This record gives sequence, C-alpha cells and structure tokens, in this order.
Amino acid sequence: MKASSRVADGRSRRHGVAALLVLPTALWYVGFLVAPLVVLMVMSFGERSPNGGYAPAFTLEQYGNLTTRLTPLTNTLGLAALNTVICLLVAFPIAYTLALKVVGSWRLVLVALVVVPFWTSFLIRTYAWMTLLGANGVPRILGWIGLGDIQLLNTPFAVSLGIVYNYLPLMVLPIFVSLERLDRSLIEASRDLGAGPVATIRQVVLPLAAPGILSGIVLVFIPVMGEYLIPILLGGGKTYFLGNALADLFLQSRNWPFGSALASVFVVGMILLVAGYLALTRRLVRAGRETSLL
Amino acid sequence: MTNGRHPDEPRDADLITRLAIRRRISRRHFLAGTGAGLGALALAGCAPAPAGSATPPAGANLGDTLNLATWPNYHSQDVLDNFTADTGVAINVGVYGSTEEMEAKIRAGSSGIDVVVPSNYAIEGWVADKLIEPLDYAKMPTFVKADWNSRFMDQAFDPGNEYSLPKNWGTTGIAYRSSKVTEDITTWKQFFDLCANKYAGRGLIVDHQISSFGSAAVAMGFSLNTIDPKEMAEVEAMLIALKPKLFAISSDVQPPLRALDTWLSVAWTGDGVQVGRDNEDARYVVAADGGELWIDSYTVAADAPHKDAAYAFIDYITQPAQAAKETEFCLFPHANDKATALLAAEVSDNPVIYPSAESLVKLEYAVNATYNSAERAEAWARIKASA
Repeated sequence: MKASSRVADGRSRRHGVAALLVLPTALWYVGFLVAPLVVLMVMSFGERSPNGGYAPAFTLEQYGNLTTRLTPLTNTLGLAALNTVICLLVAFPIAYTLALKVVGSWRLVLVALVVVPFWTSFLIRTYAWMTLLGANGVPRILGWIGLGDIQLLNTPFAVSLGIVYNYLPLMVLPIFVSLERLDRSLIEASRDLGAGPVATIRQVVLPLAAPGILSGIVLVFIPVMGEYLIPILLGGGKTYFLGNALADLFLQSRNWPFGSALASVFVVGMILLVAGYLALTRRLVRAGRETSLL
Repeated sequence: MTNGRHPDEPRDADLITRLAIRRRISRRHFLAGTGAGLGALALAGCAPAPAGSATPPAGANLGDTLNLATWPNYHSQDVLDNFTADTGVAINVGVYGSTEEMEAKIRAGSSGIDVVVPSNYAIEGWVADKLIEPLDYAKMPTFVKADWNSRFMDQAFDPGNEYSLPKNWGTTGIAYRSSKVTEDITTWKQFFDLCANKYAGRGLIVDHQISSFGSAAVAMGFSLNTIDPKEMAEVEAMLIALKPKLFAISSDVQPPLRALDTWLSVAWTGDGVQVGRDNEDARYVVAADGGELWIDSYTVAADAPHKDAAYAFIDYITQPAQAAKETEFCLFPHANDKATALLAAEVSDNPVIYPSAESLVKLEYAVNATYNSAERAEAWARIKASA
C-alpha cells in the first residue's frame, strides 16, 4: 500500500471514529433539544381546541396575542436585571476575598462552603426561607424589639432574597475562577505605580475579572428569567414572572398554542442573549484577555 | 368544628391515629401543581387478604397493574392494599395537584393512565374530545344506583353518569381563625370586604380561576360561572384592586393559615377539616351567598391499557364499605348514602365535612364553559400579572 493512501485510509477511519463518538451527543441534542423545539414551534402556529389543548392550524394569532403578556415580560426583565446586579454586588467581594485575601487550606474550605448549600434540595432551602420570613420567623423577632407588624414573606423583597440566595454561587464561582488566575504581581505593580486600592480594583482587577463577571451574569440572568418557583413560594403568587405566565397557560388555561408561542419567543430571546454573550467574550479574547467558563 | 377529637373513645382510636399522622397537605397542594410532587407509588400486592371484601369477577383476568391519576392524600392505603390482595392488581398511584394537570397528561396521549379522578367541570370537554370512555357498568357488578344520593348523581356535566362515578365531593368555602377574625364570616361579600379593608395583608385566595374568580363573582352578586364580559370586567377590577392587599394567591392554603400568616382564606372542604382538627379557633363556612360545589369522579381513560382492572377497581372502591373507609381517611363527603351511613359519627356528624342540605342550596357546580372560557382565563392572568 502506498504511503499516501495509507494516510487517507487512516484519516477516514479517524473520521469514522470521530463520527461515532459524536453520535450520542448528536442524538441527545436532536432528541432532547431540537425535536422539542420543533414541536413547540409547530404548536405555536396552531389554535386552542375548544376544550383545551392543541388543534392543528396555521395562524399567527398566538403571536398577535403576545402583547397581553407584556406585564410579566417587563416584570421578569426588570427583576432579573435587578437581582443579577444585586448578585454581582454581593458576589464580587466574596469572590475577591476568597481569591486574593484568603490563603492556604482555608480557601478550599471557604469555597466548599459556597457550594455546600447546593447539596440540599433547592425546594427545601426555599421552604426554609418561607418559615424564616413567615409570621413565626423574623417578623416575630422584629416584633419583640418593637418594630411592629412587618410582613416579609410574599413581598418583592422576599423574592429578591430568594433569588440572590439561590443563585449567588453561580455568580461567585466564575468570578472566583477568573480572579484566582489573576497575576498578583499586576496588583503590586499597580500599587507601586501609585494607584490606590480603589483605582487598582477599577483599572486592574475588574477588567481582568471581566470574563468571569460576564459568565456569572449570564449564568444568573438566564435561569432567573425562567424562574417559576421562587415567585410562587416567596412571592405568594403576587409577583408574576414569565415562567408563571407560561405554567398558567399550560396548566390553567390549557392554551398550548399560546403557551408555545410565548415559550418560542422566550427561547429565541435567550438564544440571542447567549449569542451576544459569546460575541462579547470573543471580542475580549481577541483583545488579548483570557476566555471564560461558558 | 373540631369533632375529630374524641381521644377517649376506643372505637375511634384507630381513626384518630390515622388522622393525626396524616401529612398536613392541601388537596391542591402547589407541589403537585408544579410537577415537583408528581410521583408514583407502587403498592406491592403483599397485604393479607381480608375476609370477603372484594368481589373480582370470577375467572376474569385483570392483569397485574392499574395506573391511577388522583389527588394527594385522597385514598385509604388499606383499601388500595386490600384491592391488590384480592385481585393481584398492583396500583400505581400518580398524585396530581389539579384537574388541569391530569388533563395535560391524558390529553398528550399514551399516558398509561387507566383511572382518572377529575373534578366535575372537566368531564364534558373530556367526553367531547374522547379522552374518557363510557363506563361499562356490566363490568361493575356490585354497583347499586339506589344507594347513591341523587343530589350528586345524574348531573348536567354527565347525564346518567354515563362517564363518571363520584369519588368524593366538597365545597369551596371560607376558612378563618376566629382568634384573629372577630366577625362571624358568613358570605363571600363579607370575606372580600374584610380582605380588602380590616384584614389587609391577612387574606388568601387560591390560585385557581374557577374557585377564586368564581367566589369573587358570587360576592358581587353574579353567578360563580359568569362569562358575561361586563360582569367579568367588574370582578377583574375588584380583584386587581384587592391583590396588593392579599397575603397570597396560592393553592397552598394550609401552612399560612396554621402559622397565622393568613387569618382568612378561600379553602376547600379538606383544608377546613384538617386545619379545624388542629386548631380550636379555626372555622370553615360554606358562604350563604353562594359559591362552588364540586365532585371528583372516577373516569376511565379512553386509551387505558388496563381496562378490566380499571372497572374492577371502580366497582370495588365505590362499594359502601370501601367508600366509607376512603371517606374516613380523606375526610371529604361521599355521594354514596350507604357509605355515609357506615361512617364514624364524628365524620358524618361533622358539619364541616357534611354541611347541612340547606347550606348547599345556593351553591353551583362550575361548568365546562367556565373551565374553558378564554376570556375568564385571560382575566385571571391579568389579575395575576397586575402589580
């Protein structure tokens, strides 16, 4: 056999093996991502059958009705943005301290402690907050010290608290990772060159942590946009997210086509958001900075 | 109100224990509503056979499995176990938080579900869409129509009980804690007034269009089933104004009522019984100005894979002796008079479980048109989305 054909042979075999290795992933994506999305899209052009569910049709009516869900959309966008910012403000000092101030085995312990709450079910932790914020929890203690009748549970405050509490690790960890890889001599250089602590953080640490911050923002913002349980459990159903609107469309109104249209638009919006994130990180990489998690 | 407590009567000791150890869970508990509570509990056929309680048709091959879609805490484990022991059919119990959730499953098809227990308002649509099949009474040899209370049989949603046979019924009423609420609440009008004014921040309405929007409609002098645009607009405006003053819109009625986060609440019969059992000051009233009366019924899914087992099961569990056990467990009233006659006195004489016939006169069943009204669904969505 000639050398060239042996090379070609090996290459095609390698292609075959590669294809085989990719197959499970491809099947997974087609079966559990593409196919459901296709079903969703098809249903979104249908009609609600008179007794609920889906009736085949081709109409844009459902998309025309989307404006009726503007309030939950703006609610969700506003609260997701607000809570992502709160998460960031809380997470950055934690990540900064963990990455740059704590040394040795303590760091490992403290990072582990950030993750430990994840070992308990999200639902149980949120239920615990219900007890803490309910009439027999913190408000009673506040009552003892004379702060009167304060309601915490089922307020926007409780929803924010639940979101920040549950999503904080998703913000802390990527920022921690990017700060940990930060070259400390850069901070020393900044100090040597006369920058104060604030200027150092603003001009040296923050830009270098940008990929981690960006990852954290995406990791928190996207799931919060789809949040459904926290508004129910800690918001008492009074804070209405897009996720709640969607659940109601399927489980109360049984309007599958409208629910599908809303979900389709939501999914497309989130895809655009992730695409924007990827473009931004690519630009950061091109600008010579390290890439990040996602 | 708290007739559930007779600890010194030995005859009732067993019942009391079972009442006490039951999980305190609302009938339409949100967990099930979110799907998180969905789960199947396989009951192995290992219990010893009791003496002559089940009568499986001789020589019938029922198979070994039955899939039941039902509500949380609705069935006596004894009854299910005995059925399994007598027939060899193991029952997979799927727990759902709402009729709508059950519908999502059987509408999608190939759910494997045999017996479904929906509320009355869904049945007409399910029949029209052929999701359930006409009951084959020939396969239910012990069914005796004369035993059943005509108040709950042969209703408009299923004339002649062609498709459905009642499991239990109940009301949508007002639960409140009299240690905090000084008034005797008797009407929906009073309830919504108190929620909006004197007890702002302490009221709860359930997250269910039919029960909450319907009760608000009754408070304003309309029908529970109103789909008149003008009337619905008035109800919507009232509820949007009320919403900021509510503690919650949530079907998880019991925890806040027990913790005194809420003092007054829309509630279903079971919530009233269970909270009342544990709290002397808890009251449950059927409103004098009207409201919802409902029936959950056994139905057989059209694509049920185990039809013979399904009929054997419905036949068995609606027999008076079994129905009485079921009722003593779930504490919702039963439509079979012979079963009611067999109940322990503290259940059948409890006015929360079995309200007087007069108090039911003004109540209405929610109808299919209400359940499927796009306008009502949208009004409810606007209320929930409002600030």
